[in-house]
Amino acid sequence: MEQFATMLTAMLRAAERLLPPGRRQWAEAARAEAVQAPGGWSRVRWLLGGLWLVAREAGVMRKVMYWTGVGAAAVVASWTIWLSWRAVRLPYFDPQAVTDRVRILAGIAAIVVLPWVGRRRGWFGPVGSSITARLVRVAGCAAMCGLGVVVVRMDSHLQRGANVGPFSLPREIVGLLPLAGALAAALPWMRSRRKKADTGALWALAATGAGTMLVVLPLQALSIGYVAAILCVTARGSSVATVSLFAGACIGVASGFAIWAVVTAWGNDDQGLIPIVALMAGLLAAPAGLIAGWARPDTGDPEESRVARMRQGAYAGAVAGAVCGLVLTYFSVVAVFMMLVGPLAGALSGAAAGALAAQYPIRPRIDGSWAAGLFVQVRAR
Amino acid sequence: MSRRTAFSAQTLAVLAALVAQPSDWRHGYDLAGETGLKSGTLYPILIRLADREIVEACWEEGQPAGRPRRHLYRLTIDGLAAAAAALAEGPRVAAQTAKPRRAANRRLAEEGA
Repeated sequence: MEQFATMLTAMLRAAERLLPPGRRQWAEAARAEAVQAPGGWSRVRWLLGGLWLVAREAGVMRKVMYWTGVGAAAVVASWTIWLSWRAVRLPYFDPQAVTDRVRILAGIAAIVVLPWVGRRRGWFGPVGSSITARLVRVAGCAAMCGLGVVVVRMDSHLQRGANVGPFSLPREIVGLLPLAGALAAALPWMRSRRKKADTGALWALAATGAGTMLVVLPLQALSIGYVAAILCVTARGSSVATVSLFAGACIGVASGFAIWAVVTAWGNDDQGLIPIVALMAGLLAAPAGLIAGWARPDTGDPEESRVARMRQGAYAGAVAGAVCGLVLTYFSVVAVFMMLVGPLAGALSGAAAGALAAQYPIRPRIDGSWAAGLFVQVRAR
Repeated sequence: MSRRTAFSAQTLAVLAALVAQPSDWRHGYDLAGETGLKSGTLYPILIRLADREIVEACWEEGQPAGRPRRHLYRLTIDGLAAAAAALAEGPRVAAQTAKPRRAANRRLAEEGA
């Protein structure tokens, strides 16, 4: 045990260099105090605490998680490209192989480039301080990477002659030009937002570009849009409250599974199910809007509170609808339309639920406690 | 809902230990024994308190025989007022932290510290 403690002391001494100069004295202090601890397990515990201090203050865990994520994205991209590459050589040639490669590269490029583009203005980063924001950002980006794999695997298992076309360079160019146009339009609009400039034309241009993209390159456009949305709602300056994000994400996952269970039981070949699925996604997103609306504190001004609750409800509903759409797309790529319809339906029903929450707010309990049941303790003032 | 205090239960335990002897310089192991906090919890708290200028820190003067120099802590004048106010606001917290403190004292006693 003493040898282990000696080794930990050496490790702590070496790890101190990871800290900024102003923080090193604290790790040195922890190391100096270790000799006060009686030997054995007690000293080891003290030194482990010192190492934890270094890991915490130097952001080691964050760096490890970040580079693990970058590595995972690189592995997924490489694997997917290899899958599509191999498919070209196989006897049952996958006509979508090259298109898949472009899709994957577009998604990965969005994950890598968008934070870099938006960093200066804080649109996409840094990530919010809550655990929910971090989890949603990591899980969302991982889900987008995974979605690429799902699409490639599905395409590689399609038989020849299925209703898919080969890679089309003109189509990709026609799709990517509106993408560049939409970004070029969105950036000046963001810059001019505070100057009260006329944004109608820019909005129209961006909407036209996005609409064209969705028609020509649905998966590429959706993946870029989703990555941008994930980064935006989880950014520190985001106006989406943590409660809205949490409620939306949880309810979205649950409703995705629930809808898939219903669709499977009903028979998923029926085209008439599409509006029903959209309606279900909207209705199931309503509880997220309700929770977000109730969680929004009262501002004192009834109209202001109502608008704020509706807005948070719409955010939570949109998150729930988007997550639901993503889950459904995982089950069947045919449901990719839900990645677009889900957030819209969710936002509508979430806003309505937020208005309902404003109409019937939850009364704060005695002394601000939210504890349920009879045993609410009243503090003497 | 209004937030009554910005300090966690563990921070209040550290502040309570420092308020008990406001003019004395305390060292980390001493505070850990009194509060029942582990080093990985105690030092981040001390760092935050020092950043907010509630606690001042310095190294022990001279080189003592047989052990390294200690890093010492005590409340600043402003910190003493802030700690007293925070502790007056949170008597419930003191009761909550008593349990781990007793456990830590018992453990230290068992270890012969």
